[in-house]
Amino acid sequence: MTGKKALLISMLILAGMCVLPLGLGIYPQHVLIVSLFYVMMASSWNLLAGYTGQVSFGHAAMAGIGAYASGILAAKAGINPWIGICLGTVLAALIGLGLGALCLKMGGIYLSLTTLAFSQILHIIIVNEYDLTRGTMGLQVPSLMAEYDKLVYYYIMLAAAVLILSILYRMIHSNLGLNFRAVQNDELAAKSLGVRVLQVRVLAFTVASAMAGFAGGLYGHYLLLVTPEIPSLDLQFYVLAMTVIGGMGSFIGPIIGAFALNILAEKIRDYGEYHVLVFGLIALVVARFAPNGLLGLWKKFKPIKPIQAVKQKAFPTP
Amino acid sequence: MALLEGRKISKSFGGVQALSQVDFAVDPGTIVALIGPNGAGKTTLFNAVAGAFKPSSGRVVFDGRDITGQPADTVCRLGMARTFQVTRPFAAMTCLENIMVAAINRYPQKPRSFIEGFAREKLSLVGLADMERLEARHLNVVQKKRLEMARALGTDPKLLMLDEVLGGLNTQEIHQAVEFIRNLRDKLKLTVLWIEHVMGAVMQAAERVIVLDQGKVLMVGTPHEVVNDPRVIQAYLGE
Amino acid sequence: MLAISVMNGLVIGVIYALAALGVSLVVGIMNVVNFAHGELYILAGYFSYLFASALGMNFIAAMLIALALVFLLGIVIEVTLIRPTYGNDMYSLILTFILSIVLQNAYLLIFGPYPNKPPLWVKGAADVFGLFLYGNQRLAALIAGVAVIAVVFFIIKKTWFGRIIRATSQDREMAELNGVDTTRLNMLSFGLGCALAAAAGVILTPVFPVTPTAGVPVALTAFVVVVLGGMGSMWGCVVGGLLLGLVENLGAAFISTGYKNVFGFIILILVLLIRPSGLFGRAKV
Repeated sequence: MTGKKALLISMLILAGMCVLPLGLGIYPQHVLIVSLFYVMMASSWNLLAGYTGQVSFGHAAMAGIGAYASGILAAKAGINPWIGICLGTVLAALIGLGLGALCLKMGGIYLSLTTLAFSQILHIIIVNEYDLTRGTMGLQVPSLMAEYDKLVYYYIMLAAAVLILSILYRMIHSNLGLNFRAVQNDELAAKSLGVRVLQVRVLAFTVASAMAGFAGGLYGHYLLLVTPEIPSLDLQFYVLAMTVIGGMGSFIGPIIGAFALNILAEKIRDYGEYHVLVFGLIALVVARFAPNGLLGLWKKFKPIKPIQAVKQKAFPTP
Repeated sequence: MALLEGRKISKSFGGVQALSQVDFAVDPGTIVALIGPNGAGKTTLFNAVAGAFKPSSGRVVFDGRDITGQPADTVCRLGMARTFQVTRPFAAMTCLENIMVAAINRYPQKPRSFIEGFAREKLSLVGLADMERLEARHLNVVQKKRLEMARALGTDPKLLMLDEVLGGLNTQEIHQAVEFIRNLRDKLKLTVLWIEHVMGAVMQAAERVIVLDQGKVLMVGTPHEVVNDPRVIQAYLGE
Repeated sequence: MLAISVMNGLVIGVIYALAALGVSLVVGIMNVVNFAHGELYILAGYFSYLFASALGMNFIAAMLIALALVFLLGIVIEVTLIRPTYGNDMYSLILTFILSIVLQNAYLLIFGPYPNKPPLWVKGAADVFGLFLYGNQRLAALIAGVAVIAVVFFIIKKTWFGRIIRATSQDREMAELNGVDTTRLNMLSFGLGCALAAAAGVILTPVFPVTPTAGVPVALTAFVVVVLGGMGSMWGCVVGGLLLGLVENLGAAFISTGYKNVFGFIILILVLLIRPSGLFGRAKV
């Protein structure tokens, strides 16, 4: 797909997304807003797992950092939520930088272990610091606007998602993106070609953490109640399943995955709380048999232009 | 002055002495072959020089700088590029992107158009021009070796280090490859350090030959001196 | 207070060591971290509860069957999920993480959110050195834990199978060249790793009942122990496990109960800062 065609299609989709909620009721609007939150989460997690080959289990925790930072500042200190969201984003980035610098030099497994431990610790802190966080009851936080309006929230989330996606898109298609993918494909070879592997990995982790913090901050001020559900392993699993099922390492995969799973979850909820189990089983099968997700599967069955083995000398004369 | 110099390089893994007190020098503009029977320590020496790991003792001097123990990426940016014995292409990236990775880290400030042109030039140099949009995993072994060479050239190196690039080629192709590397050296003003297991081929290309055996330098000389040295013949026959 | 905390720390520390040995074995051989380790620990607890409490079997028989079943499940997991991802560490991380979530939710569906508990092996309490009274079940758990660790050490250090395991974790290629069937070895050691999680489970669940998510903190602690001790080091697991058990319980007694599990995380950060290869780890080449 050429750049112009892709731009045109995304403009059309964006226009569609702008008019989509107009005829809908409050509940479908809510589902769409939550889906947009997941689009930001899954796409930024994909920057890690899909593009640099590092698996963080603390992405939901970073969203929690953003949500609680901004929520506490607004609820306890009366700071404007928008400033709070910015501060939460910065805090998530700093924590990402710290954790990344600490464990990435030891290799990918250490990042997975440390981020999992981090999300567990964050949970414990939130539950124990009741005065600050209201524990499992949840912290009531102010709205982003004077008069609560779902439609306005929808457009805010849409704008935020477009912002995150365009940053990701530019990054992936820049020199940095090439380095990301080189590191994911073969760390040793990348190093031998002058790629500063550690720096590249820490950077990706910091950026992804910041994005999760930003999304979490917005999400908290939308829900008006920040609970330990945000930095939970369940939400982390959700983000992972959306990316894995949609298509890791592709730009659109996680976007489709986020919408599909979140809407599907609402349908399954009608029958009981089985959606996590169902998604788990689907994700297991997809990760095992179609590591590039449903999008990868589709690409695989689309015929690729056969490349003729051109008759040539083994080594040409330069 | 030599472009690359190793001084008393030793490396041991656990209790095994893979290299002991290896001294060698590579003069600028020459093609130097590094040969020896299997397990002589050729690739270990490569790795110790190119920063894949730190030598246990000894020094590596490149272009007037002590680079001992410097990581591979730093060494690469100083102008040393290598290929791998078992190829390591970026499998899920296109051939062109493979080389662009090398180019962007050599020329981080240059615009994308320059990088692409530069990468394309290296790709056509090794005869893979019509495969630039193909993902590297679709290439066959011989093509992968060539891609790696192009990728190494993409870092615009002073010193090109080749690790067994002739594997899988027939006699005629080997002859072409030797021709190719000599021409490359002349055209790009390179210095080449070349590991090869097969003695015959390198003899046509190299100006100097370093023979390693059991982690030690057995001898250094011209190809003619080397093939006629009884110790070298012994080392190969003893295999 | 101090003496009781130390005792509690030893009991739980031995179990941590046991769980960590399972993780370490698999990391050493296959370079794979099984994120469903805690869920297999829980599964063994559910099995022994099911066989002993619900079906009325002898508790030792129930425990042995639980061990065997989890070992077999481990082999099934290895063959179906781990083996196809050899050489791609990322996918084994993702797959075992998904598996852990699936198992947690399956437990919730089958057993409900309430704690379940297999019967005690022994009742009553004993006087420990005239210092305090200590539950017999906990003492029995301590003894059983030490016994299992001793058996594992014997197998790894003294038997032919153990020699193959040690050789392979040191140099996989060399082991393959010497005729070790590493595919089968992977399968067996993964199963054994899971069985060690199960051993920890059957020993500890009469004391600490099982819930669907109770495996998460245990597995996490086991991971911290493995990093602390040094990836792949057996003595590291034992020392690290005891250390963590003691730190947690002393910390809970003298600093804060709520932050019991945070102390382990602080240790993890310190290790990564000061000695990332762990207490007994070989530095990375």
